[in-house]
Amino acid sequence: MNPQILLVDDEDGIRKVLGIFLSDSGYDVLTAENGEKALEICREYQPPIVLSDIKMPGMDGIELLKRIKKLYPETEVIMISAHGDIELAIQSLKYEAADFVLKPIQNDSLEVALKRATEKILTRQKLKDYTENLERLVKEKSEKLVETERLAAQRYQQLFDEVPCYISVIDKSMKLTAVNRRFKEDFGDAMGSYCYAVYKNRTSPCSNCPVQLTFEDTQSHYSEAVVTSKTGEAHIVLVWTAPICDHHGTPIQVMEMATDVTQVRKLQNHLSSLGLLLGSVSHNIKGLLTGLDGGMYSLTSGFAKKNEELLKEGFETVKIIVSRLRKMVLDILYYAKERELQWEKVDVLAFAEELAAIIEPKLSVHGVGFITCFDSSVGTVEFDAGAVHSALLNILENALDACLEDKNKPDHHILFSVKQDENHLIFEIQDNGIGMDKETTDKLFTLFFSSKGQKGTGLGLFIADTIIRQHSGIILVESSKGIGTTFHVKLPNARC
Amino acid sequence: MAKKIMVVDDDPIIVKYIVRIAQDNGYETCSANDGIEAYTRLQEEKPDLITLDLQMTEEWGPQFYRRLAKEEEYKHIPIIVISGLASRHLSIRKAVAYLAKPFDPVELITIIQKTIGK
Repeated sequence: MNPQILLVDDEDGIRKVLGIFLSDSGYDVLTAENGEKALEICREYQPPIVLSDIKMPGMDGIELLKRIKKLYPETEVIMISAHGDIELAIQSLKYEAADFVLKPIQNDSLEVALKRATEKILTRQKLKDYTENLERLVKEKSEKLVETERLAAQRYQQLFDEVPCYISVIDKSMKLTAVNRRFKEDFGDAMGSYCYAVYKNRTSPCSNCPVQLTFEDTQSHYSEAVVTSKTGEAHIVLVWTAPICDHHGTPIQVMEMATDVTQVRKLQNHLSSLGLLLGSVSHNIKGLLTGLDGGMYSLTSGFAKKNEELLKEGFETVKIIVSRLRKMVLDILYYAKERELQWEKVDVLAFAEELAAIIEPKLSVHGVGFITCFDSSVGTVEFDAGAVHSALLNILENALDACLEDKNKPDHHILFSVKQDENHLIFEIQDNGIGMDKETTDKLFTLFFSSKGQKGTGLGLFIADTIIRQHSGIILVESSKGIGTTFHVKLPNARC
Repeated sequence: MAKKIMVVDDDPIIVKYIVRIAQDNGYETCSANDGIEAYTRLQEEKPDLITLDLQMTEEWGPQFYRRLAKEEEYKHIPIIVISGLASRHLSIRKAVAYLAKPFDPVELITIIQKTIGK
C-alpha cells in the first residue's frame, strides 16, 4: 500500500497539479481546500505526511501545523510558502514543521523535502521499534535471569536438603545457623541452639571438636562421634568439617557434614568384638582347662592317698570350673547369635524372688543393702524367662558395680521392684551408686561402649537391650552423676 | 632346707594347683594374686624360684618382672612363665621356661628340679 499524503491548498489548480505529481511519486493523495477540512481528514486517516500552504483563508497553515502537531505529533508537516512569506516559513520550523518548499514549487526541492520527512518518519519508527524491542528484550532477559536464579537457589536448597547426611553450619559461638532437612528430621529444627547441646545433650563443647579445630587452622577436619537424636536413639557418625571464610580468608562459619555409619559400625563392632571375644574365649578356656587340671590333680591325689579333704577340694574346684564354663558359653551364645525367644507363661513373683535370691548374696558380701518391693498382683506374664533373667541380672550387677565405684556415700543400697501399669510389666532397679552424666546415659546401649574401662566389655547392656527389644519392650534410664541410677525395664504384659 | 617356690597367678584355683604340685614334690611354697602383692612379699619369703602368670588384673606379669630385674637382690631369681597368652612375651627374655596353659605338671616339675635342684 502506498503511503498517504494530505495536500492542503485553497487553490484548486495547485491541488490538481501537485496532486498528480505526488501520485506519480507513489503517494496515495488526500486533498483539503482549508484547515478545517484538513483536520477532519487527519482525524479520519491520520496521514503520515501533510503538505500545506501557509497562506489560506480561514485557518492558515501555521495554525493548522500547530493543531496537527498537537494532536498527531508524529505526523510530518511540510509547509508551502511564497517567496514573500519566507519569514512565516522559517517561523513554521519553530512549530516543528519538517521542512518548507517555496512557490513556484520545484519538483526537486519538493522531492528532497518529502524524502527528508519520510526518512524522519522511518527513523522515528525504527527508534520506536528498537526501544520497544530493547524493553522487551530486557524484560525477557531479566525474567529469565530471575527464573534461573530462583531455580539455582531451589536446586541448591534441594541438594542441601536431600544429601544423605546431616549438614549443619555452625558459627564461632558453636551455634547452629543452618541445618538441612535430614538434620531437622532426626535432631529437630535446632537453629540457634548449641551444636553440642543438640548432638550430645552436653552443656559445654566436646573435647577434640573438629569444628573448633577448623576455626583455628582453616583446614578440614574429621572425627567420629556418638550422637543422640531427638528420639533418644544413638547414632554413630563420621564428621567432616569445612571452613566458610570471608574475603580475608578468615573462617566465619564452619560447615559440618555428618554421615550416619551406625549400621556399618555395628557390623564392624560385631566382627571386631567377635574377634576379641574369640581371643578372650580361647584365653579363658586355657585358664579353665588349667583349673580343671588342678581339680583332677587334687582328685587323683585324693584317691591315691584316700584323703577325703583332697577329694572334696578337687570336686569343689571342678564344680567352680563347670559353672564358669557355663557362664562363658551363655555369654557367647547371646552374643554370637540372636537367639530365638522361648516364650513361656512366667509366674512373675516367683521369677523376681528367684532373681533376688541370686543377687542378694553378691550384694551382702560387699555390704550393699538390698530392698525388694514386689506387687503381688502381677500374676503370670508371657516372656522368655531365661533371656529376661540374664538381662535383669546384668542390670543388677551393673547397679552393684555403680555402688562399689562410689566412694562418697557411707551406705549403698539397691532397690529392686516389680510393678505393672495397664499395658506393661515393669521391673525397676534403682541404686544410689556413682551415677552417670547424660552423655554416658545416651551411649549406654551402644555395642562396645563401656563406662567401666578395662573391666567392661561393652556387651552386657547391649545384650540386655537386645533381649528386651526382642520382647517389644524398652529399657529407660534415669541417672544423675554422683546421686544414682534407675533402670526401668518395661515388657508388654500381653504377647503381641 | 627345702627350696621355696613363689606362685603368682590371679586365679586362686590355678595357684592352689601349682602349689599342690610343688608341695607334693617336696618344695616349700608361697603365693600371690598379682605382681604388686608378689613384690611386697619377696622380702619376707625370699623364694628360690617364681612361677609367673602374664595376664593379671592388678599388675601384669611383665611389669612385675621389670621391677624385679632392677633389684640386685632379686634379679637372679629364676622365673618360669605359665600363661594362656599365645605368644611368648618379649619383655620376659630371661625366663628359664615358658609353659602354655594348660601345662603338663610333670614338665613343670622337671624344669623346676633342673633349675633349683630337688
